[in-house]
Amino acid sequence: MYLISLFSSLVITSLLLVLIKKRILLEIISLLSGAIVLVHSFLIALSVASHGVYSSSLFFSVDSFGALIILIIGCIGFATSVYSVAYFREETKKGIVGFRRVKEYFVLLYAFLAAMCLATTANSPIFAWIAIEATTLSTAFLISFYNKPSTIEGAWKYLIINSIGLLLGFFGTMLYFTSVPSTLNGGFVGWNDLLSSTSHLDPLIAKIAFVFVLIGYGTKVGLAPMHTWKPDAYSKAPAPLGALLAGALLPVAFSVVLRFQKITDAVVGSLFSHQLFIVFGILSIIVAALIMFSARNYKRLLAYSSIENAGIMALGFGFGGIGAFGAVLHMLYHSCVKVVMFFSAGNLLLTYGSAKIANVKNALRVIPFTSILFILGFLIVTGTPPFGIFLSKVYILSAGINDHPFITFSAIFFMTMVFVGFLKHITAMFLSKDEESNQEIGEKNIWLIIPPVLFILLVIIMSFTLPAFIETLIHDAVIHY
Amino acid sequence: MSIFFLQFLVDIIFLTLVVMHLTKKNFVAVVAFSVQSFVLTLLFFASFLETNNVSILLMVFFTLLIKVILAPMFFLRLIRENHLSFSVNTYLSMPITLVIIAVLTFMAHSSKFVPLTQIVPTHQVLLSIALSSIFIALFLIVNRKETISQILSVLSLENSIVVFIIFAGLEQSPNLQIGILFNIFVWIMIATVFVSLVYKHFGSSNVTTMKNLTD
Repeated sequence: MYLISLFSSLVITSLLLVLIKKRILLEIISLLSGAIVLVHSFLIALSVASHGVYSSSLFFSVDSFGALIILIIGCIGFATSVYSVAYFREETKKGIVGFRRVKEYFVLLYAFLAAMCLATTANSPIFAWIAIEATTLSTAFLISFYNKPSTIEGAWKYLIINSIGLLLGFFGTMLYFTSVPSTLNGGFVGWNDLLSSTSHLDPLIAKIAFVFVLIGYGTKVGLAPMHTWKPDAYSKAPAPLGALLAGALLPVAFSVVLRFQKITDAVVGSLFSHQLFIVFGILSIIVAALIMFSARNYKRLLAYSSIENAGIMALGFGFGGIGAFGAVLHMLYHSCVKVVMFFSAGNLLLTYGSAKIANVKNALRVIPFTSILFILGFLIVTGTPPFGIFLSKVYILSAGINDHPFITFSAIFFMTMVFVGFLKHITAMFLSKDEESNQEIGEKNIWLIIPPVLFILLVIIMSFTLPAFIETLIHDAVIHY
Repeated sequence: MSIFFLQFLVDIIFLTLVVMHLTKKNFVAVVAFSVQSFVLTLLFFASFLETNNVSILLMVFFTLLIKVILAPMFFLRLIRENHLSFSVNTYLSMPITLVIIAVLTFMAHSSKFVPLTQIVPTHQVLLSIALSSIFIALFLIVNRKETISQILSVLSLENSIVVFIIFAGLEQSPNLQIGILFNIFVWIMIATVFVSLVYKHFGSSNVTTMKNLTD
């Protein structure tokens, strides 16, 4: 029931918004729908935590890991709706966007949320693939939202790279179907069918299939070397969308890879998938660390931070055991903190009119709340104690220190590089003095501050204590990895 | 259906990809894609004749409508409206392109890929050609500098994967396949809009003119 009403509210909102002709109505419906999605995501998560897998039909079900992701989508989706309303009001005041564009944004935003929920809850790998592809289609126009050459370029790269990646993922997905007769369940083969037929899957095919799946869906996750679309898309998309791309889409795509990992591990053992995760993970951390140092755009900086964190998660799943626990925890913290950082980046963009680091000076004095949020976000995302990501990194690294000391120490070295690189940019943006600045001092709108403040509080609280139902979901989710 | 006839069909798909590599005219590339999609439709029809599953006829209809008729129509209109008759150069010269195609074809037939080509042992030759088509389509994507060519390459990659799936006996229920086809249709529409936008903003369909985004 919850799932049906969740999907209905998302799809109906998206369709209804097309017909709306008044801005205030558009905003009210968006906020209401965001709130409904938030409530449903909590209901689903609570239900899974207390009763196990939640299933509403043959086609959809939610396990513990899925419930965590639905919760992430619900929370970030609602926060994005609230923030977007305030953000686009400011952009409209500046004459950057008009009603038609804002309407287009909200219609596609809800289509994107629906596609992510579908990908997470779909019982069939093919359904999941269709939904992930739908996330690409719904966001392509959001990335080219401002209709400038650079945004078109970013969107084009996003569309082509992700489409190729997903086609390779599709090929890999189909190879898993060699283990089941195509007539099974009237042609509707689910994740559980694949899992129960692993004895019929050729180990070599399973290995090839997983490589394709990891490359395919890994493109969507943003693992290096398939990450190239990410900085372009993140930097060109409207700031609120960046929060969803980094905070929600990344875990959604990761969850699909993990489902295939479970099947592959049942056929060839866990060593194969773990090695691949470690390779892609460490590569992502290295690539991000090297480029972040010389980044010139703070939104691109956040994109590289996402690549680094996707790498850390991959490393956690690659190390297994407590590393997998750390990876799930890391996913949760990273999603929340990226919301804070992208929303703060949006506020910086509204104030300075530029995403270039060099153009942001003395921000701590100009927009103090936003600056504190961004700096706190930086401290959290780079794993500074006592925040949660420090803990999740400790779990991940301690899982790898015995069996993979070289990889673990390399990861520590490059994570430190990320911290130093990030710090360099933070100092330049927030602490450097600009005597000639004639920036208007003060935040633009209280509603541009409330959503990131709530999320930073959430991350800080969750760094010290996790709600019981989330703890149950995490423990249940990591059993298989 | 006779294995020789099936091999003839899959050879056509392979050849259309080679043509798409060699042609300098976008019109020829679109026609090649249309022929390729028509052969795919015939393969679905052959599948219907074997199984007598009426819902496969729906697949035949939608593939014919979307890939053989509508998509080429979109592309031809784009070519006409934006004066994109001639494709811009490839990254590699023609002789090198041909050598790489030969290497990729050889690779797909090598023992390294036997696990894939032996999924259905009686279809080993067909699966090898389908696999080489997948590789050549991937190479086409990276070798072409032009937006329409890149779109056609992505769609050819999809066609090649579907052909592989058919010969490997991995076809899904027609409902799911129609879902995938609908996705592809939306993708084609979005991609064609982007081709127009790229041309409008950059005055060219050459992707190497897009240099706004750097670190």
